Amino acid sequence: MNESLLFLIGFILYSLAALFYFVFMFSKKESSAKIGYKIAFVGLIIHSIALILRTIESGHAPFTNMYESLSFLAWSAIFAYILVEGKFKIRKAGPYFMLIVIALMALASSPLMPKEATPLVPALQSYWLWLHVSVTLLGEAFFAFAFVTSIMFLFAESKEKNERTGKTSLSAEKLDNISYKCIAIGFPLFTLGGLIFGMVWAYKAWGSYWSWDPKEVWSLITWIFFALYLHTRIVMGWKGQRSAIIAIIGFLAAMFTYFGVNYLLAGLHSYA
Amino acid sequence: MKTIINFFKSVKLAIVLFLLIAVAFIIGTLIPQLRSEAEYAARYGQLSGMLIKLQFTKLYQSFWFLTLLILFTLNTITCTLTRLGQKLKKFLKPKIIQDERSLKTLKLNARFSRKGQIEKTISHLQRIFSSHRFRIREEKEKDRVYILGRKRTLGHFGSDFVHLGLLVILLGGIISGILGFRGNINISEGQTVAIPNADFALKLEQFETLYYENGRIKDWKSTLVVIEDGVPQTKKVIEVNHPLSFKGYVFYQSRYGWDWENSYFDITVKKNSDPAYQEIMTLKAGEDVLIGDSVYVTVLRFVPDFILDERRQVASRSRDPNNPAVLIDAKKGDELVFSGWIFANFPDFTSMHSEGESDFSFHFDRFHAAQYSGIQMTKDPGVNFVWIGCAFLMLGLIFAFYWPPREVRCILREESGRVEIFAGGIASKNRGAFQNEFDEIVKSLRSSK
Repeated sequence: MNESLLFLIGFILYSLAALFYFVFMFSKKESSAKIGYKIAFVGLIIHSIALILRTIESGHAPFTNMYESLSFLAWSAIFAYILVEGKFKIRKAGPYFMLIVIALMALASSPLMPKEATPLVPALQSYWLWLHVSVTLLGEAFFAFAFVTSIMFLFAESKEKNERTGKTSLSAEKLDNISYKCIAIGFPLFTLGGLIFGMVWAYKAWGSYWSWDPKEVWSLITWIFFALYLHTRIVMGWKGQRSAIIAIIGFLAAMFTYFGVNYLLAGLHSYA
Repeated sequence: MKTIINFFKSVKLAIVLFLLIAVAFIIGTLIPQLRSEAEYAARYGQLSGMLIKLQFTKLYQSFWFLTLLILFTLNTITCTLTRLGQKLKKFLKPKIIQDERSLKTLKLNARFSRKGQIEKTISHLQRIFSSHRFRIREEKEKDRVYILGRKRTLGHFGSDFVHLGLLVILLGGIISGILGFRGNINISEGQTVAIPNADFALKLEQFETLYYENGRIKDWKSTLVVIEDGVPQTKKVIEVNHPLSFKGYVFYQSRYGWDWENSYFDITVKKNSDPAYQEIMTLKAGEDVLIGDSVYVTVLRFVPDFILDERRQVASRSRDPNNPAVLIDAKKGDELVFSGWIFANFPDFTSMHSEGESDFSFHFDRFHAAQYSGIQMTKDPGVNFVWIGCAFLMLGLIFAFYWPPREVRCILREESGRVEIFAGGIASKNRGAFQNEFDEIVKSLRSSK
């Protein structure tokens, strides 16, 4: 068993899980969603083994190039999904969320992403690599969940308004609430991993905790958007539509920090 | 004054500032910062003048960005303080007496009675509350006893801790900006360098570059000794990610390089007419040496990585010794007997390409140059403030999200051998979980045990 084979099996299982979730979406059969959940769980275990093997083979944390970090982000996303669905039973978010996971896995498998593990440049040889990247991406996985539930909220809200059918099984209000809960998990994780651990590591490796590097600045922009979300919601009582839009923008900013900065803006973070 | 405070305590101002700062950041990442005017002109053409005038090209140091930060700081301080006063009062001197009607309006409320005297009921209640980790305050008024039980009250102060953390981080940033400094020192093996503005020196005992099997650089290791008043104080092998700290200074391994300025070269001279003749000399660039009885040899120039550029001029492709070469001149009186480049890696090249006949031939055997270690030196008195601020910030986030305060208020009244109890529960977050706890408390209050 090698890492790339296990990665592929994980990918197939996630796709299968997505399929079952889509069957659930159209047939409304709860049992189908339950099977999807179980398959995703098995996929997570296989994917975890792949990541562990990768770590053993390369001798370093499994997120030092785009392929590795996409794979880890997908892993974090499934992990977040298993937790959130397990707690709140919002199966309807499943199909959409699985689409994001599949997109990440597909992007990781694309030939554009070099797969071979390369030895680490001096700056990356630190245990802060583990702390900084894993906690940040885990936080972003919860932002991804809030992104999905926020978009679903916008649709659910307009549907509820138009049809006046009242409550469906997953009301707009519940979606709004789950978005908030996910951000309440994602925001502290992102603050700790992305900003604080990032500053500590930058100080250890570069001799300066803040260098106005584009990736640093963009993670701060992301942080500001979620801070905006929390202030408008908690202090000013914003809810629903406006909150959902801020959460969506926040996640897009996080994704720009993750992808966009690497390809569009040059800086110190050029290796990952 | 009041209008100023009202202006700064508004959350709307905070929202506007959030957005403005975000926009500033976006501009700052789209326009490369602190480049030369020529580069901006090439990149933006006509626009470049305006961008420079608006300080978009040194945005994070610009007047208007600093103004935004100052407004943000004042806003944070005012918002926090104006709310903190009330919160502290509630925390330290909470209102315990409350009328029944206001308890009734709470979502969680209960009204029941149990047998027994009021004192016994109170001690029963105290036991229950403490088993749920509520702290109790009580107050008597006429025939009634008022009880306030609270837990996780620190949860109310989450946002204040976050704001305090941010302010401490900003303070650290200001201190770093004003008092911090950064410098680079290049230091060769065996060399001792005095640290500017400090009363100690740094000696590089040993320097090595480690390579992976494929030839890429794995790490650099510098064995550094701190010398104070001529006495070695501490010794540490630094590498990337593992700096040396001493008296507020931190020394980072950041680069390596070759000390070409102090290099010297071994050159062998042979005579075509006399195969037995051979002389080995060692000389520096610019130095000349007499060979035989009347010929002076000079090393005019050295390049570590010889290349001919587009204009067919000699240049060095890099600072690394990939193709070391020296330019040699040999003169007998005023007569030039030899002139040309000789290469360490290509000993036969010169004889094949030299113009004209010469009795002498020269060979560049090897160079002697020290590798130096590039060390970044930092003194940043702001950094500890930043870490303390970060700790407050994280603590605040945990309080705010994961330490939800809960409050139970009770009114007890004794009436003909029974104690009547009104209870009400307040929680701003995680109400579902609190409902369960409230129900449990009420259940055990009702039970006679």
